[in-house]
Amino acid sequence: MSRLRLGLEMDGSSRGRQVRDVVQALAHAAAVRGALLVAADGFAIAADVPPAVAVEPLAALAATLGRDLEVGAGRLGHGAFQTAMFSADDGTLFLAASRIGFVVALAEPQGSVQAIRGALEEAVTAIDSSWAPLASAGSAT
Amino acid sequence: MNVVRLWRPGLARRERTAAELFGHADRLRRAGRHAEAAALVARGLEQDPVSVTGHLLAAYLHVARRTTEPARQEFQWVLDREASHPRALLGLARIALEEGDVDGGRAALVRALHAYPDFPEAQALLDGLATPRAAPPPGRPRLDRLRLPPAARALVVLAGDGSVVAAQPESASEEGLRLARSANLAAAALQRAGLGPLRRVIVAATDALHILRADATLALAVRLPPATPLTQGLLEINRLWAAAQHELAIARNDVVEAAAPADARRLS
Repeated sequence: MSRLRLGLEMDGSSRGRQVRDVVQALAHAAAVRGALLVAADGFAIAADVPPAVAVEPLAALAATLGRDLEVGAGRLGHGAFQTAMFSADDGTLFLAASRIGFVVALAEPQGSVQAIRGALEEAVTAIDSSWAPLASAGSAT
Repeated sequence: MNVVRLWRPGLARRERTAAELFGHADRLRRAGRHAEAAALVARGLEQDPVSVTGHLLAAYLHVARRTTEPARQEFQWVLDREASHPRALLGLARIALEEGDVDGGRAALVRALHAYPDFPEAQALLDGLATPRAAPPPGRPRLDRLRLPPAARALVVLAGDGSVVAAQPESASEEGLRLARSANLAAAALQRAGLGPLRRVIVAATDALHILRADATLALAVRLPPATPLTQGLLEINRLWAAAQHELAIARNDVVEAAAPADARRLS
């Protein structure tokens, strides 16, 4: 019942497929309803979320929230933000920083926090490792 | 065996136009390949230095690579040519929010929505900036009496509208205001995801564990050492929450008792 929307469809590389697989695997982890990989500019690189959830507004909010946590930690002299969890009556939103953006998971309210955080951290590690060789390539505009 | 030649020798490879470079760069950007996309945008802008598309892509890529100042310059370059460009306004709004300029961010979002009313991303961010209209607590609850747990490094009490009621140490006020803004954005994200109102926040950083508990009238946040077990952190915030509810109940009773003699005089 989930909807898959991928910027990565235009990228035939194995690296692109790997990141897509990571997001899909996270979206189908126990007690997880959906997942997104959002660039810091708010573009949803990969998303696998329930049909009722509009991807673009959620991605814009997730990227802004992620940057707010990153920049806020630095400005207040605190260490780098790693993961965040925002819980509500009907579910929980998890957010983690990765090399190419923010990984978001939408989870059931009764899901195991430790298990979902573990799945999120695994996803970040997989994305970071698949992106590492090329993240430093190319020149800035 | 017949071998079929699939290429023609001797044909010079045509140099790609700026538009083609930008198109390819955008596809790479959408795949998260920011460094490769940035290289193509730089080549495209060498060919066409006044391309709005090129400068907008450059801005996106700077944001994606978390380089804020060049991103601001690129968004501003676009706005100097198209004063109501909605995507450039959204980009500048997000940079303003990163820098804590909520009014500037809000103004840019309102301008973007004025130019392009059907703009879900801008509307979502504007929703995330709305100040919650919370009912004030009854009387004057002594929330300043809440004590900093021994294991905690900071405690911040926020009213439902996001204002700081109490902070220990006092220098944690700024942290509280920042947390309130993050909580508002998170609340908007939860609503967009259909998950309901925000109740708890846990932020794990390299040097701290932040835990917040909130309802419509109050939010409490503690900063704990990073190695604090999550269950202990939740126990601490729940204990503080119970103490805060106790102070609210005392204030409510004081209000009722203060009103009672006046009611009695009116009836006599």
